[in-house]
Amino acid sequence: MAAVSAAPTRKQVSWRTRILPYLLILPSLLGVLTFTLLPATRTLIDSTFKPPRIASGEATFVGLQNYADLFSNEHYLGSRFTRILGNTLIFGFGTVGISVPLGLALALLLNRRIRGRGFWRFSFFYPALLPLIGAASIWAFMFSSTVGLINTVLRSLGHPGVDWLGNPDQVLLSILFVDVWKQAGYHMIFFLAGLQNIPADVYEAAELDGASGRQQLVYVTLPLLRRTVLFVLVVALTFAFQTVEQLGALGQGNPGDRGNLLLYFIFQNIGERRNWGYTNAMSVMLALILLVFTITNFVVLERRRGDER
Amino acid sequence: MNGNAISNNANPQPPPRTQGGGEDFRAVNYETGRKRVPLQTRVLDGLTMVAAFLWLLPLIFSILMSLRPSAEPISVGNIFFGSSLTMDNYQRALLVSAWGAHYVTTLIFVLGTLAVQLVTITMAGYAFARMQFWGRGVLLTVLLLQLMIPPGVLLVQNFATIRELDLYDTRWALMLPYWSSAFGTLLLRQAFREVPYELEEAARIDGASLWRILFNIYVPLSIPSYVAFALVSISSHWNELLWPLVITRTEEMRPLTVGLNKLFNTSDTGADYGLLMAGTLMVIAPLFVLFLVFQRRFIESFASSGIK
Repeated sequence: MAAVSAAPTRKQVSWRTRILPYLLILPSLLGVLTFTLLPATRTLIDSTFKPPRIASGEATFVGLQNYADLFSNEHYLGSRFTRILGNTLIFGFGTVGISVPLGLALALLLNRRIRGRGFWRFSFFYPALLPLIGAASIWAFMFSSTVGLINTVLRSLGHPGVDWLGNPDQVLLSILFVDVWKQAGYHMIFFLAGLQNIPADVYEAAELDGASGRQQLVYVTLPLLRRTVLFVLVVALTFAFQTVEQLGALGQGNPGDRGNLLLYFIFQNIGERRNWGYTNAMSVMLALILLVFTITNFVVLERRRGDER
Repeated sequence: MNGNAISNNANPQPPPRTQGGGEDFRAVNYETGRKRVPLQTRVLDGLTMVAAFLWLLPLIFSILMSLRPSAEPISVGNIFFGSSLTMDNYQRALLVSAWGAHYVTTLIFVLGTLAVQLVTITMAGYAFARMQFWGRGVLLTVLLLQLMIPPGVLLVQNFATIRELDLYDTRWALMLPYWSSAFGTLLLRQAFREVPYELEEAARIDGASLWRILFNIYVPLSIPSYVAFALVSISSHWNELLWPLVITRTEEMRPLTVGLNKLFNTSDTGADYGLLMAGTLMVIAPLFVLFLVFQRRFIESFASSGIK
């Protein structure tokens, strides 16, 4: 009965089967085309043009001149750009280099049996729940030279205090510090998940072989976490290079661009019509840096999936 | 399963071996019946607590600061409390911005985005997990572009698109760019692949439609992935600032973070941290509650959803 009523002709079946997957992915694809592919293409095109001097004029095609200008020290944006690019690399690799090992250490500490584990986890994870602007405003208070907590404590200990956001040699470190504080607990969550995925019998076997706690950590836990570490590294790098909202509360790139980051610099120049070609060129370069990380990420993910087969 | 299971000394059996990477260092002393805590465990416990305390300091002091009279900033020897506890900062913070409207907008933005995402990622996730079609690899790569090109870089061009669509300063504009999610699609593609195909085949033989198969088989078996995605989606959009700042103008259309940003700009003189902390705490409180409720689920779902 069912077979009779539900048996359409072969042609209908193949038509529906053929069209259905496209209908299913159409909404997702439309979104990506409109809000990723189209604007990305426009960014790429606009990065090779110089905007017109007057609003009604025509943009002129300049090839890669915008990119060359950005790397030239004589250009008014060039010297600033190279410094900010350097900051961005230091900030990106610095925060990740500290926060990922820290997150792993926290996960190892909290994967043990400890009273009130949920509370300790929360105390490390909560910064990740904060909006960047919220975290930044809390740290603006912590860092304030006059009424800030850190300097007040330092002064009560007889230290004159540190100009956390005003000292050119300090500001990038301060921003980096906030990011480490915010991200370490987030990485910890991934490592905790990775640790819980390690089967208990692996440890039983290691223990039967007489491995000490430290040996188990070095020869069992860490090697089995290798892929989690790689994954977290890539996610963290991708995130670190896009982290800018906090700068609004933490120095706004000052003093003298020493605390500035690439994406924030792009935002600072977004309203300047004469810099339109440059902001787009900088966006392309930032996208290229991030592309390296995300492609690595995807390769790692796919390979891990392959291994599970 | 471990030493804790034997807490009274009437039990003559030796404690079972610990498992799980030396999770439990405690052993039972047979003579006294008391737990002996090795030095190493104590040191590590202490380290955990000290670190947690350092991590909590900014939160603790932002709460204390928000309760101090604004005329009394902290000073040497007086960092905890002012002369009195006051809600004055909260009252003033409430007046700075239209918080009720911000809350409504944030809720619509976050939940509206999530609702649509759940539909689009389920459909696309299934297609990429279980269907064969021409151009599948290419189309998946196109979708993945969303993960490769950061939204921040595309902000201005997307702003132009929203203007062309005549959606500037609407809640639609807030949500629209997020309705498709490559991250969610990947997550569900993986979850769906782990569903035994025999279940689908059996349902097909019984004449079930695709929608029934999705809702009765794939969705229920992938709940941990959905929870993981929902938590990630909610927390990231709740915290979003730049896009709403660019794409909206009127107060009612702006979410909480923009209100917070405004607070920061109005107290730009620098000294009014009480006001700032009160506003910050008002914005972050709901997310904290959500996390406390879902904490276990949050960690478990990350573990089972493959974003390890």
